[in-house]
Amino acid sequence: MLTNKHDALAIIFANSYDNEVPSLVNERLMASIPFAGRYRLVDFTLSSLVNCGIDNVSIIVKKNYRSLMRHLGSGRPWDLVRKNGGLNIVPPYAEKGIKVYNGRVEAVASILEFLKGCKEQYVFMTDSNIACKFDFSDMIRAHQESGADVTIAYKNEAIPYSFMNMQLTQTTDLYYTLDLDGNRVVSINTNSKEYGPQNLSMNLYLTEREKLIAQIEKAYAQGHVFYERDVLAPMIGTEKICGYEFKGYSARISDMVSYFDENMKLLDPKNLKALFDGSDVYTTVRDDNPARYCSGSKVSNSLIADGCVIEGEVDNCVLFRGVHVGKGTKLKNCVVMQDTVIAGNCDIEYTIMDKEVNIASGKSVKGEKTFPVFVPAYKQIL
Amino acid sequence: MSKEMVAMILAGGQGSRLYALTDKLAKPAVPFGGKYRIIDFPLSNCVNSGIDTVGILTQYQPLVLNEYIGHGQPWDLDRLHGGVHVLPPYQQAKGSDWYKGTANAIYQNLSFLRRYDPEYVIILSGDQICKQDYNDFLEFHKAKGADFSVAVMEVPWDEASRFGLMVTDSDGRISEFQEKPKQPKSNLASMGIYIFNFDILEKYLEADEANPDSSNDFGNDILPALLKDGKKMYAYRFNGYWKDVGTISSLWEANMEVLNPESSGINLFDDDWKIYSRSSGKAAQYISDKAVIDNAMLTNGCRIFGTVRHSILFAGVEVEEGAVVEDAVVMGNVKISKGAKVVHCIVGENAFIGEDAVVGEKPEPGNEKNVATVGPGVSVGNRAVIGGTAMVKEDVGEGGKC
Repeated sequence: MLTNKHDALAIIFANSYDNEVPSLVNERLMASIPFAGRYRLVDFTLSSLVNCGIDNVSIIVKKNYRSLMRHLGSGRPWDLVRKNGGLNIVPPYAEKGIKVYNGRVEAVASILEFLKGCKEQYVFMTDSNIACKFDFSDMIRAHQESGADVTIAYKNEAIPYSFMNMQLTQTTDLYYTLDLDGNRVVSINTNSKEYGPQNLSMNLYLTEREKLIAQIEKAYAQGHVFYERDVLAPMIGTEKICGYEFKGYSARISDMVSYFDENMKLLDPKNLKALFDGSDVYTTVRDDNPARYCSGSKVSNSLIADGCVIEGEVDNCVLFRGVHVGKGTKLKNCVVMQDTVIAGNCDIEYTIMDKEVNIASGKSVKGEKTFPVFVPAYKQIL
Repeated sequence: MSKEMVAMILAGGQGSRLYALTDKLAKPAVPFGGKYRIIDFPLSNCVNSGIDTVGILTQYQPLVLNEYIGHGQPWDLDRLHGGVHVLPPYQQAKGSDWYKGTANAIYQNLSFLRRYDPEYVIILSGDQICKQDYNDFLEFHKAKGADFSVAVMEVPWDEASRFGLMVTDSDGRISEFQEKPKQPKSNLASMGIYIFNFDILEKYLEADEANPDSSNDFGNDILPALLKDGKKMYAYRFNGYWKDVGTISSLWEANMEVLNPESSGINLFDDDWKIYSRSSGKAAQYISDKAVIDNAMLTNGCRIFGTVRHSILFAGVEVEEGAVVEDAVVMGNVKISKGAKVVHCIVGENAFIGEDAVVGEKPEPGNEKNVATVGPGVSVGNRAVIGGTAMVKEDVGEGGKC
């Protein structure tokens, strides 16, 4: 095995935590939420995998996956058009009387035959709500070194506000914190309400393919749903589960406010470097022209993508590809997604504009830092 | 499978008048307009015109160009039948030769053309910035029942003597050529873009090759031979933006014209005629709260903390606090350090400009063609001064002067 290629495949869950950002996933899913000016969340995971030499990637989708399919295409931007492996998008296989899966166990059960046919020794499983540069190679090294059966990546950080305030219902998303002894996991806590920094799971797991198949076959037969709660937690006494601390920069999207804040945090060059420098993050190529800053425009502390045309004033904003800001418009503290057009003489603050929004001249839209206004995709403010 | 028209792009030129910029790469691979290379223009024109089979004839420093073209996917030219092919000179049973001239380059690749059995061949130049629909040109060629057509631009009469001119009758049929004449009889300048009926092209290239006195050049040999034989040769008038970017000053000028599309006519912001290029994969550009940007075009990966006025910055350029960039073309991954002044110049890819260094100067009116040039990868030390007409290929030490 060449050192630049790993004996591992990856499974990405594309609908993770959809419930926490209902407006953003109205016509998409977590993995295809636009982030950081020109990316979708899944780009960060895919690029990290590919940059670590993992090129057999399955993406399990559940609903609203059309935008993701369009984004991924054949997988070429991530160099995932491969004869062996490559990109494999797995939509639900709906049969009469069978419900679309809920938890990870059911989702993985739906691709067991595929997994059995693979040759890779290891499997990564990961959610898609965190943008970070993840070193999968280092996690494999740690996994081998500790001799763990399963390794869980976690970050030492406070539990997000929206998680703490989750109301328990049928559709509740689960999150997990780890109690550790050294690097060994001694308990997995579900939906903890502890304050302060916790070992918050990134829902990123590494195990051996054969072991995963056995775990899932057993759990599925027993009617279990959630991998962490129903498979991992009961294993703690008998098998070795280890934690792997991620110490790098990460942006976790847990609700609309965190979506806004995580975009804004990238306006600090320190954070921008941490997320992007060192290796490339790949995304679909749109063949936009370079961004144009017209005479009389004024741009300050902002992240601007190719294809933008700016005639007005832009301060503290993240502008995605192909955004137009008209003359005399003042745009402050906004996240503006691709191809949104804002005409002249508008006054807009603390607003998230989804893609292809159209705002007529002279309009005023204002939210607050703690409650940014959201304008859904394709809406027109006339 | 036969193709109606196949394109051949002449990309062999060394581009010695681009000096340091073409030291390590062929002229068609020279960066242009923030995120393109010159070859993106003929390639995108081909694709947008529906031509899916393109040969690129290359022989000088082909490495960068080969890597850039790859299998042609960015231009949608990775095709099962046809697609883009880079064609360097090759060893043949009876020996091998460098391309002796433009006509010889096509002659050596006749077997490539024969594979596609085209009716027409369009011959393009790899060193021009132009958005042109080759379909309109072909329609003209067919309507005239021509054997050969050349695209021409109307130029001002007082400048006509700088060009190769086509003298035509009222129908556009060519009766005479004038190469940079003292007394121009026409103001129709050849753009070096030709459409041939393939059978005619084949016949004349073979005859030309058999002639030991020939310079194997389209302009000098093939076209006069066609005219002598009374072939139907027509001039097709093109009215759009066209620029030969063969010199430092014309390259600088064309880049500056991109900044003012409303007056110059070179509009890269055209969804109906996109120019495709191989993308850099860098993050969105960051503009700090200390930055000042006025009438500029910036590309992904740029990080700006200083002042940028009336300039084009390619992918990944960093401008530190207090640095000033004005009337400049700054190519990919250049770092401009604190307090540096980069004015009226071209800075090649991966160059480094040290703190408080000065590159170029604002020219006196009338001397705008003086454009300072810093070659790719050159490091200009702290407080070094690069004069307004300097062309720098080698590193300049701290406080150095050029």
